[in-house]
Parts: sequence; C-alpha cells; structure tokens
Amino acid sequence: MSSNVLHEQENPGNSKFGFIVFLLSESIIFLSFFVGYIVYKTSSQEWLPLGVTELDTKGPFINTLVLISSSFVIYIAERYLHAKNLWGFRIFWLLTMLMGIFFLYGQAVEWQGLPFSFTDGVFGGAFYLLTGFHGLHVLTGVLLQSIMLQRSFVAGNYDKGEFGVWATSIFWHFVDVIWVILYLLIYMWK
Amino acid sequence: MKSSTIVKLSIIAVVLAAISFWSGQQAYSWFPPQASLEAKLIDGLFSFLVSLGTFIFLGVLGTLSYSVLFQRAAKYDYSDGPAIEGNNTLEIIWTVIPFILVVWIAFYSYQVYSQMSIQGSKDHSNLEAIEVYSRQWAWEFRYPKNNVVSSELHLPVNQRAFLKLQSEDVIHGFYVPAFRVKQDIIPGKIIDFEFTPILEGKYRLRNSQYSGTYFAAMQSNVIVESPEEYQRWLASSAKAKRTPSYNQAYQEFNNKKSKLRGWRSIKPAEPPLVNNLSPGE
Amino acid sequence: MTNITNVAIEPVNWRRYFSFSTDHKVIGIQYIVTSFFFFLVGGLLAMVVRGELITPESDLVDRTVYNAMFTMHGTIMLFLWTFPVLAGLANYLVPLMIGARDMAFPRLNAVAFWLVPILGTIMMLSFLVPGGPAQAGWWSYPPVSLQNPTGNLITGQVLWVLAVAISGVSSIMGAVNFVTTIFRMRAPGMTFFRMPVFVWTVLAAQIIQLFGLPALTAGAVMLLFDLTVGTSFFDSAKGGDPVLFQHFFWFYSHPAVYVIILPVFGIFSEIFPVYARKPLFGYKFVAISSIIITILSAFVWVHHMFASGTPPWMRMVFMASTMLISVPTGVKVFAWVATIWGGKLRLNTPMLFALGALVMFLFAGITGIMLAAVPFDIHVNNTYFIVGHFHYVVYGAAVLGIYAALYHWFPKITGHMYYEGLGKLHFILTFIGTNLTFFPMHPLGLEGMPRRVASYDPEFTFWNVLASIGAFLLGVSTVPFILNMIGSWSQGEKAPKNPWRAIGLEWLISSPPMVENFEELPIVIGEPYGYGGDHALVANLEHLEVAHE
Ligand code: HEA
Ligand code: HEA
Ligand code: CUA
Ligand SMILES: [Cu+2]
Repeated sequence: MSSNVLHEQENPGNSKFGFIVFLLSESIIFLSFFVGYIVYKTSSQEWLPLGVTELDTKGPFINTLVLISSSFVIYIAERYLHAKNLWGFRIFWLLTMLMGIFFLYGQAVEWQGLPFSFTDGVFGGAFYLLTGFHGLHVLTGVLLQSIMLQRSFVAGNYDKGEFGVWATSIFWHFVDVIWVILYLLIYMWK
Repeated sequence: MKSSTIVKLSIIAVVLAAISFWSGQQAYSWFPPQASLEAKLIDGLFSFLVSLGTFIFLGVLGTLSYSVLFQRAAKYDYSDGPAIEGNNTLEIIWTVIPFILVVWIAFYSYQVYSQMSIQGSKDHSNLEAIEVYSRQWAWEFRYPKNNVVSSELHLPVNQRAFLKLQSEDVIHGFYVPAFRVKQDIIPGKIIDFEFTPILEGKYRLRNSQYSGTYFAAMQSNVIVESPEEYQRWLASSAKAKRTPSYNQAYQEFNNKKSKLRGWRSIKPAEPPLVNNLSPGE
Repeated sequence: MTNITNVAIEPVNWRRYFSFSTDHKVIGIQYIVTSFFFFLVGGLLAMVVRGELITPESDLVDRTVYNAMFTMHGTIMLFLWTFPVLAGLANYLVPLMIGARDMAFPRLNAVAFWLVPILGTIMMLSFLVPGGPAQAGWWSYPPVSLQNPTGNLITGQVLWVLAVAISGVSSIMGAVNFVTTIFRMRAPGMTFFRMPVFVWTVLAAQIIQLFGLPALTAGAVMLLFDLTVGTSFFDSAKGGDPVLFQHFFWFYSHPAVYVIILPVFGIFSEIFPVYARKPLFGYKFVAISSIIITILSAFVWVHHMFASGTPPWMRMVFMASTMLISVPTGVKVFAWVATIWGGKLRLNTPMLFALGALVMFLFAGITGIMLAAVPFDIHVNNTYFIVGHFHYVVYGAAVLGIYAALYHWFPKITGHMYYEGLGKLHFILTFIGTNLTFFPMHPLGLEGMPRRVASYDPEFTFWNVLASIGAFLLGVSTVPFILNMIGSWSQGEKAPKNPWRAIGLEWLISSPPMVENFEELPIVIGEPYGYGGDHALVANLEHLEVAHE
C-alpha cells in the first residue's frame, strides 16, 4: 500500500505557516531576555561593571548598518530567484552571507576588546547573553544560507519555488529586527 | 416555568443557603487560635468564601447527583435524549452572576488586605523595630534598643509588631499560623513587616519558603506576653550571657549517624549566640 | 498512488512502536505508553513521600532524599506524565477528529516524541550523579537551586535544567505541529465551528505552549549559566535578582496548568454528550471560552507570588485577574451540567471517570478562587492547602479525565473492548483514594502545616496518616487499570467501529483505523454533537474506507 508515503509528505503552505508560528514563539525568548534586561537596568544599584564608564558604540554602529543593509540585499536575491535569474540570486545571496559574516567578525572583535566578562555583575551577564544569543541566530542564518546556496546548484531544484529560501530570508529579517531592538536597549539607552 | 417548580427551586435554594451559611460558621474552627487582628479579618473572609463555595459546590453536585440517580437510561432504551443545543438566556445568566460574584470577592478581599496593611504601610515611626535574621537554618531576633539577641520571638500583646526581615543566604519565609501572616524574606533586601498580636500565648513560627535540606527543622516559637512581662524578659535577657542556641539542623548535620544515608548537604550556619535562657526547640 | 520505493518501510507489527514511525497514531500510542511508565515512577516517588509523612519525625529517608523525592515527583509528573500523555492523546485524536490523514509535519512529530525518552533518561540518570538529583523543588527557585554542596560541574540540578529545556524543545515542536495541523489540515467542510471541542482545547493549550514556554526557556538558560559558568543573574549574593526568576518561571508555569486542564475540558466535552445522549449544551460558548481562558491565563502568574517580594498593588491587580478566570471556566462547568441534565445517562467507566473528575475539578476550582483572595492566600501559601488544591486538579481532574479518555477511546485505539467490571473497580478505588489522600491536606494547610517538609509537629499526625493510607490505596488502584489494559488489548473482545454510538469522524472508520485514516477525505456537512437529531455528519460516508470494506 502507498500508505507510508502519505505520512511523509509535507506541504509547503503548511511549512510556511508552521515556520511563522515558530518565529512568533522564538521572539518570546528574546522578549523575555529584553524584559530581564530592562528590569535589571532599572533596579540594580550597580549597573556598569567597575571601571567601565561607557560602551564603545562606533564598531557596533557599523555592524548595525551592515546587518540592516543585508536585509535589503537578501530581498534583492529573492527577487532574482523569483525572476528565475539564478546567478543574480547566487551573487546577492552570497553578498548577504558575507555581510552576516562581517557582522559576526565585528562582534567577535568587540567581545575581544571589552574590559569586562560575563561574570562581571548582571550587566556583564546580560550583555553577553543578549549579544551572544543573537549572534548564535546570525550564525544559524549564515549556515542556512550556505545550505540554500549549495542547493541552488542542484538542477531544477528551485523550479517549484523554494520553501528553504523563503524561510531563510524571513529568519534573516527576524534576526535583523531583534538586533535593532537589542542595539537600542544596550547601546543607545543610557 | 410552572409555579410548583418555582416553589420547589426556592425551597432548595433556601436549604442550600442555610447549609452554606452553617459551613461558613464552622470554618472558624478549622484554624489555629486567632492570635492577631489580622487573623480575625482573614477568618472572616474565609468564612464568607466557604459559604459561597459550599453553595456553588452543593448546587452543582446536587444537580449532577439528581441526573445520575434519576435520569439513567433504561436497560434496553437506546434512544437519545432531547436535542437541546443551548440557551442564550442561561448562558448570559451564568456568565454575569459569577462575574458579579468574583467582583464582590475581589472587592471584599481588597478591603481586608488594606485593613491588614502588613507590608508596613501604616505609620510606624514610633514603633521599635525588631530585626529578624534568617539563615540556613536558624532564626535570630534582635532587639537593638536593649541589645538583646534571642532565638525566640517575644512580642508584647495588643501592640503593633514591627519587624525588619532579612536573610543572609537563600529565600526564607516568615510564617506564624496563629497570626495568619506570612512574608518571603528575599536576600539582599530588608523587608518591613507588621501585624498586631492580640492573644497571649506561645505559638509556632515556621519557615514557609523552601530553603534546602533542613528546611522542615527551621522553626521557632513566638511568645506573646503582657507588656510588663515583655519588659521584664528584655531586661533579664539583656543581663544574661550570650550562649549558642540549640539548633536542630546543626545538630543533625553533625550527627554522624544521619549522614550515612542520603546525599551531601550544604553545611548549616553556626547556631546564633543568644541571650535568651529558654532555648528554642 | 505515488511511488513507494524511496520510502522507509515501517514495520507493521508491534515492533513499529519502538521505531521512528511518522504515523500520528503510532506516535500517539508511543507518547501514552512512555508517559504512563513515568507516571508510575512519579507515583512511586510519591509513595516514598507519603511513607515518610506517615510519622512526624524524619525517619524513613534522609532529609536530602525526601527533598529529592518531592522535587522529582513534581517534575516527573508534570514534564514526563501530564504534558506527554496529553500530547499523545491529542496526537492520536486531532487528525482523526478534523479529518486529516496525519499531522502537518510527521517527521517533526516523531522527533518531538523521541525527545521524551531522552529527557526521561537524563532525569533518571540524575539519581546516579554524586550529590543526587535536584532538591530545590519543581520551581527550582534560586538561590537554593544555585547551591552546590558537591562542587561538581554536573549536578542533579544541571541535569534537571537540561531535561526541562529538552522538554521545552519537544513541546514547542509539538505546538507548532498542532497549531499548523488544526489551522491547515481540516477536511473539506470542517469549519472552525464544526470542530469538536477537544480540538478547540488542544488549540488553546498549544497556543499557551507557544507563547509561554519561551519565557521559562529564557529563565532556564540564565539559571544554567548561573549554575555552570558563574554569571549572577539570579544570585543575590552577587547582585542578581532571585525574584525575576520567579516571574519567568510562573509566567509559563501558571499557564502550563491550563495546558493540562484545557484538553481535559475537551475530554469532558466529548464524553458527556455520548453517555448522556444529548448535544453539548452551548457548543460555541464552550469552544470560545477555551480561547478566553488562554488569553486570561497570560495575566495571572503573580498569584503564585502573593507572599513573595511583591508590592501591594501587584498583589491586588493579579488577584482581580485571577478571579476573572472563573467566569469562562464556569461557562464550561454549567454547560456540562446542562448537557447531562435531562439526558439518558449510561454510567460506563469513561462516564464515571469523567463525572468524578468534574466534581473534583469543581472542588479544586473553588479552593482556587479562595487562593486568589490575597489575604487568605497569605495564610495558606506554601502550606498543604496548596498541595490539596492542586492535586484535586492535577490528579482529581486531570488524571481521572485522562483515564476517562483512555477508556473511551480504548476500543478505537486498540480495536478491542476493555473489561467494564475491572474499569468500574478501578474507578471506585481511585475515587475513594483520591479524596482520602488529598482532602486531608486542606485542614492541614489551614492549621499551618508547610509543604515540602520531611518532618512536622505531632499535632498534624492524624490527617497525615489518613492521607498516606489514601495514597497507598491510589497506588493499589493502578493495578486493575494495568491489568485491564494489558488483558483487553491482548484478549479483549473485538471492537466495532463505534461501540458507544458516538458522533465524530473518528467513529466512522474502523477500529483501529487503517494507516492513512481515511481513504477519501470526509466531506463534513453536520454539527459535531448532533445527538437526538438524525442529521448526517459527512456526505461521503461510504467512501471513507473503500479499500478495506
Ligand atoms: C491543572 C491544574 C490547575 C488548574 C486548572 C488550576 C486552577 C486554578 N488555580 Fe491553581 N494551582 C495549580 C494547578 C491548577 N490550578 C498548581 C499545580 C498550583 C501550585 C503550584 C506549586 O506551588 O507547586 C496551583 C496554585 C494556585 C495558586 C497559588 C497559591 C499559592 O501558592 O499561594 C492560586 C492562587 O490564586 C491558584 C488559583 C487557581 C484558580 C483561581 C484557578 C481557576 O482556574 C479555577 C476556576 C474554576 C472554578 C472557579 C470552578 C468552576 C466555576 C464556576 C462553577 C463558576 C462560579 C464560581 C465562582 C463565582 C467562584 N492556584
Ligand atoms: C500531574 C501531577 C501530579 C500527580 C498525578 C501527583 C500525584 C500524587 N502526588 Fe503529587 N505533586 C505534584 C504533582 C502531581 N502529584 C507537584 C507538582 C508537586 C509539588 C512538588 C514540589 O513541591 O516541588 C507535588 C507534591 C506532592 C506532595 C507534597 C510533598 C511536599 O510538599 O513535601 C505530596 C504529599 O503527599 C504528593 C503526593 C502525591 C500522591 C500521593 C500522588 C498519587 O496520586 C500518586 C499515585 C501513585 C501511583 C498511581 C503510582 C503507583 C505505582 C507504584 C506503587 C509502583 C509501580 C512502579 C513502577 C513499576 C516503577 N505530591
Ligand atoms: Cu516519618 Cu516523617
Ligand atoms: Cu496558577
């Protein structure tokens, strides 16, 4: 009987719906961390660790610009895919990946240069938790992108439209929005 | 509705109300002695809740029991019951009435709570604060004016008691069932806490917030006495030498036999040095 | 149909229950059986707890062992019994009830299930590490949960956090799957207001999982870092805020109780109409009130912290919001009573369990409203009154409701009838045992006996002895159930399609259903509870199972 087949099929419409539901849920984790951060910031007696007066915002600002722009770049890539221009898709997709990697690199450089660690009070913990957890998402995004890029070389793979590309792109926008909130909370809110 | 049904229903309602009122009155006897003003307020609220709860519970249980006893299908009766799908008037009634009831309960509770004002909202500038220290697993009470440290809490009757609660390690809970008051003690904070004892006697103070291995043993006594006796106790204690108090957690931990079974525990704090002569249990 | 060659062939005999099957029915049974095993383990720990409490002194086990017992009892009962067993029931029933051939994501479904034995194993392994399993209560409040007398990195507490986190991942996978399935996989004609209430309640419960669980995950991650790498989020000694953890914890764990009870409400709504032979009274109100409960449940969590470090205004606001929950819940209770009223009752085992569960739920709901009244809660918070309140729900209502469901759908799931006599014996023992165990906890709490104590003042002995006797009776009461299930499954009389003359898509197909459930998808044209009427439920009845007739 063909019955087993039925249990293996997954419909792309369902996948899209499910993925959005998942992202909504995922956003609550970030929301919880943000709320925690706000509570700590408004209630702690000692906030910034000893010897730290201000965070350097220049590096993170450049990072922010790059990440925000990458959201537009990935959109262009998607448009190319839609127009069945595979090479246009690949180039802009790769560009997005590079921008993501640049962001991660910038983040790593910033972490290296910081005068405090995650054990320095609640600020230290919250700072590394938020940026680290977000960074993990950027990394996941880049990995997903590399899988999609590699899949684009499978002949005929994208003929019916590709759920993976759609999902990766949505995920990328999500990671972007989270970063903007994070940047406002950590770097702009004095 | 037929008038005979209305009469029947009214009789049932009156009987139910009488039973509910009666159980509300019984409720007072389910508590420890009423040793504080707050206890009176809370017991009154509880009595009201029991009456209301009994009414709802018996009303629903009675209806269900009637169905179960008298509305069973006959042995070979495979027919269905009446196809009643619902009734909007009834739905509205049983949405609105519970709504009104809970607004009433909430309002009453709010009034009781503000009358209790246990979280130190009353003016307490003229009250002497007793410092309550909690640690794993001992209570320590300090009377700074008289320089007395005690393992039991002494309070003068009919005077507002004003405590400053603090913890040195984990969260503990200050709880005296006879007073019906309770407050978690959050480490790193000093928490103001007030109530008024009104009945002389000896009561149990229990830790109410789980605090690790010897949590259950972290109890002490509260002694409510006349102001004269209270002063006498303060004065005699102030003269007494400070000695380590008895501490059950400490005893058990250092008793090799009981360490044979079970897993490793955090080491209990040293028993506090206290002035009071009658050691806590 | 499509080609079969590239599909992993699933074993068709009993061995499929040990395989990575993607059939929602197999997965449902896997969930139910696995979680029942953990119910027995959790129950066994409760027996130790009650054994210790039969005398006032701490004499049966060491205090550390006692503390581990109640911590693991609570954790196992919630994360390894109630959540997975309800996920199992929902897995089995939802696709059948909405006329789908499977869940939306069959492979995700299987992964979600297989995480359960993994987290169960981790939980069990924590009994073997030095220092023993977690001993900080199922809330794991810091700073107690951060204390580490052994100094080891891998402690029971770390494994506990890990297991709970895996449970969270599994539940989120399940939730995404259920919500997508219910929104997108309904058969033609199965509009929202034709869905059985069980499906509504699963939807409501899974939405809670989606939006509540991540808060617990966030708290658990921070706790894990505090435990392992020395951050200070919740460590008051280092400037952290232990009360923030309480907010994270209860923001999820209060709604979690509705994750448990909502599907049980669904079970009630399916069972009462069948055995009273009447339509569910006020179907739409019952369906909608599930969603209202979901919404309200997100705004009441502080009622677990009325005696914690909370300011008066917070206590008052959350008192009011908590009490509001009784309104939509009352709508349901009254609807069930009205459904039963004037019916033609048949007191089969499922009906007995459902009725017993309803009465005990009512009792627990009323004590719940009392607890919501702040001044009273101040007295009984963290006493046995609380333990009594919630066991009346989690055991009295939820476990009995789950038993009702297991009996009711047993013929469908296994294709055999259970033994009615053993079922009734099981009910009587359980009903008496439950009340004997958990009623005495209320007077104990009113008199001021704290919970989580290994020893207590002798004045509390009387009620504790009763509770312990009741608990042992409850332990015994599972024996007829287990015998019944094993005996009936292997030797019970063959079950027809619809032994209860129930209305619902699952009853239109054979028992047990064939692998793809429906040969042709049903075209739904009727209401879900048309008892007493003679309206057809589907338009293509004879095509549902062509190949098998
Ligand atoms: C499935 C589980 C479940 C369910 C459904 C509930 C339902 C409710 N619970 Fe319970 N509760 C728990 C499980 C559950 N609880 C657990 C596990 C704990 C303790 C956790 C721990 O500390 O370890 C707890 C603890 C707990 C507390 C904390 C006490 C404390 O720690 O100090 C409070 C306080 O408000 C509370 C209240 C309520 C209320 C108001 C409801 C309401 O939803 C009940 C609503 C129902 C009704 C009211 C009955 C039907 C309604 C009518 C017939 C209408 C008419 C009624 C009126 C007008 C009153 N619960
Ligand atoms: C769904 C949830 C659930 C269920 C079903 C139960 C079921 C039971 N609970 Fe549970 N309980 C909790 C959830 C639950 N509990 C929670 C959340 C806590 C709080 C924990 C905390 O404070 O942190 C708690 C705490 C708790 C306490 C308080 C401990 C304390 O504060 O010190 C007590 C005390 O009596 C208790 C008793 C029982 C009993 C007697 C049962 C009985 O119904 C159990 C009946 C037993 C069985 C049905 C199994 C019988 C099996 C055998 C005898 C052997 C077979 C074994 C194998 C083959 C392995 N429970
Ligand atoms: Cu025996 Cu406690
Ligand atoms: Cu709650």
